[in-house]
Amino acid sequence: MNTYYAANLLIYAGVDIIACLALNLQFGVSGITNFSFIVFQAVGAYTAAVLSMPPDTAAGYDFQVYFGGYQLPFPIPWIGGAVAGGLLSIPVGFFVLRKLRSDYQAIALLVTSIIANTVITNARSFLNGAAGLALVPQPLQDRIDPSTDTYQYLYVGLTALGVALAWFVSARIVNSPFGRTLRAMRDHELAATALGKNPVRLKMTIFIVGGMIAGLSGAILVGFIQVWAPSVWLYPETIILFAAVIVGGRGNNIGAILGALLVPVGFEEVTRLMERLNIGPPGFIPAFEWVAIGLLIMGFLWFRPDGVRPEPRHVFEGSPFPEEVESVRAG
Amino acid sequence: MSLFEAAFGFGLVSMSVIALAAVGFTMQFGITNIINLAYGQVMITSAYVAYYLNRAGVSIWIGMIAGAIFGALFSFLLNRIVYAPFQRKGTTLLGMVIVSLAVSLMIANLLLPIVGYYSTSYHQDPGGLIRLGGIALTSNQIVIIVIAVAVMLAIHGLLTYTRLGKAMRATAANPSLARNCGIPTQRVVDAVWLITGALCGLAGVVAALNADSFAIASGAGFLITALAAAVLGGAGQPYGAMIGAVIIGMVTELSAAQWSPEYKDVVAFGILVAVMVLRPQGLLARRGALAAAG
Repeated sequence: MNTYYAANLLIYAGVDIIACLALNLQFGVSGITNFSFIVFQAVGAYTAAVLSMPPDTAAGYDFQVYFGGYQLPFPIPWIGGAVAGGLLSIPVGFFVLRKLRSDYQAIALLVTSIIANTVITNARSFLNGAAGLALVPQPLQDRIDPSTDTYQYLYVGLTALGVALAWFVSARIVNSPFGRTLRAMRDHELAATALGKNPVRLKMTIFIVGGMIAGLSGAILVGFIQVWAPSVWLYPETIILFAAVIVGGRGNNIGAILGALLVPVGFEEVTRLMERLNIGPPGFIPAFEWVAIGLLIMGFLWFRPDGVRPEPRHVFEGSPFPEEVESVRAG
Repeated sequence: MSLFEAAFGFGLVSMSVIALAAVGFTMQFGITNIINLAYGQVMITSAYVAYYLNRAGVSIWIGMIAGAIFGALFSFLLNRIVYAPFQRKGTTLLGMVIVSLAVSLMIANLLLPIVGYYSTSYHQDPGGLIRLGGIALTSNQIVIIVIAVAVMLAIHGLLTYTRLGKAMRATAANPSLARNCGIPTQRVVDAVWLITGALCGLAGVVAALNADSFAIASGAGFLITALAAAVLGGAGQPYGAMIGAVIIGMVTELSAAQWSPEYKDVVAFGILVAVMVLRPQGLLARRGALAAAG
């Protein structure tokens, strides 16, 4: 158990928690089945990478082709990643969220995810195609040597800041009147519309907020692993996050965090353990992991659709049915 | 100009392949109300069934029949074991989409250890070149077109002239009314999964035969083109899917001749997005994507 392993585990956990909080805002609280979630994480990562890297003509970087390369100092790439996630949400949301029925939205977003990956893979001059970007500079690496333990602790701290920010935003939204409106829309869109709420605007807002948090998670991840390629953001990665939110409990932030720790982090660790102990045919452990994730999703949807920690039922003092409030409190 | 004439010929083949896939997909959605995102994976699995028979020395045309039978049984069991129980439990449409995506992921990854990552192709002589003006097609490609036309005519005959086809249309329009009229909707739905599964399996083998090579990753591309054609024509509308297949097949091949074959899926996706924005109900449907979910 060395520092690097512990830092690695904590940073991955932090990134997964941030991503699950964002997906929970979209899927759990607002009912938007964002099957292209991973694309928003990817755009944040790519943006943070090109903002912090030197131009592709610089010495040591000339084996890859990409646009930009601005060498901006630390907080700017992360902020840029978050902004890019939000900006990308606007056109995607505009096309997908406006008119379409919810199941069509899900499919349109899934196809968007597959196609975005195809385009980036084939358009080599844009972001170095299938090979992806490498040697992404780490934040503050000119001040502190990234190979030291101190730097690992620093990065864990920075990730924790990101988690705190994502938690703060999510908690504020879930517990606010805006959050109540979102839940009303999720549970009964027609009724919410009849009360004068504009579902398209609500969905757009949460889509952009979620996209920004997703972009931030990508920026944090790429600053740590220093590489980013189309193979790390294939569409099944989104499914893992969906599994996490479903397992944890849709619609509540603690459930999202629980899910992030149980599913992506848990599976990562189990895989690592199995590879170390040489259980099963080598190379196919990831395949069995995906099968297990599929079974997990179906199992939870069948036996426990509300997840490990179901969304708390929201009841109010001024309810017209006080006896119902009492019975909910009692039970 | 000859490049475009050749592309037109490939377009004819491409639309045949897409039509086989899209009609099955759209009928599953129209009649059973399930958007089966595992469709592309069932296609590729059937293609591999034919592949192993082919490797054992069986002709690909017999492999094609085997692929269709396998696709039919697989889809039937998929519905009986997974989809139907979830539907009976009252899972929402969105829940069903998530379930089908999970199924898709599982099929792909159960198949992976068996077939591996690498691209393969059938042992099949492409046949002699047949020329019609500037269009040059292999005899295999001609056979694919003939199969597709025959199957489309058969689907038309089934839906229009047979009791089963009429029962399917009734079930699609209003399942509870159909049941009250004495139509055994359960058995109709079983028949739908068998027939559309056969189409799916057949389409998988045909698509793999038409492609130079195929791999497990081809499933997602198969799904996207079938989806694009089905949505373009109006989801749930078999005739719409046929029209959608004609348009998507032709446009993707012409664009491949114009730009690059890597972007075929992207062009199909572009059409899909344009349809969803401009005419979400598709070309033929009256409600389609615009209707309330539920």
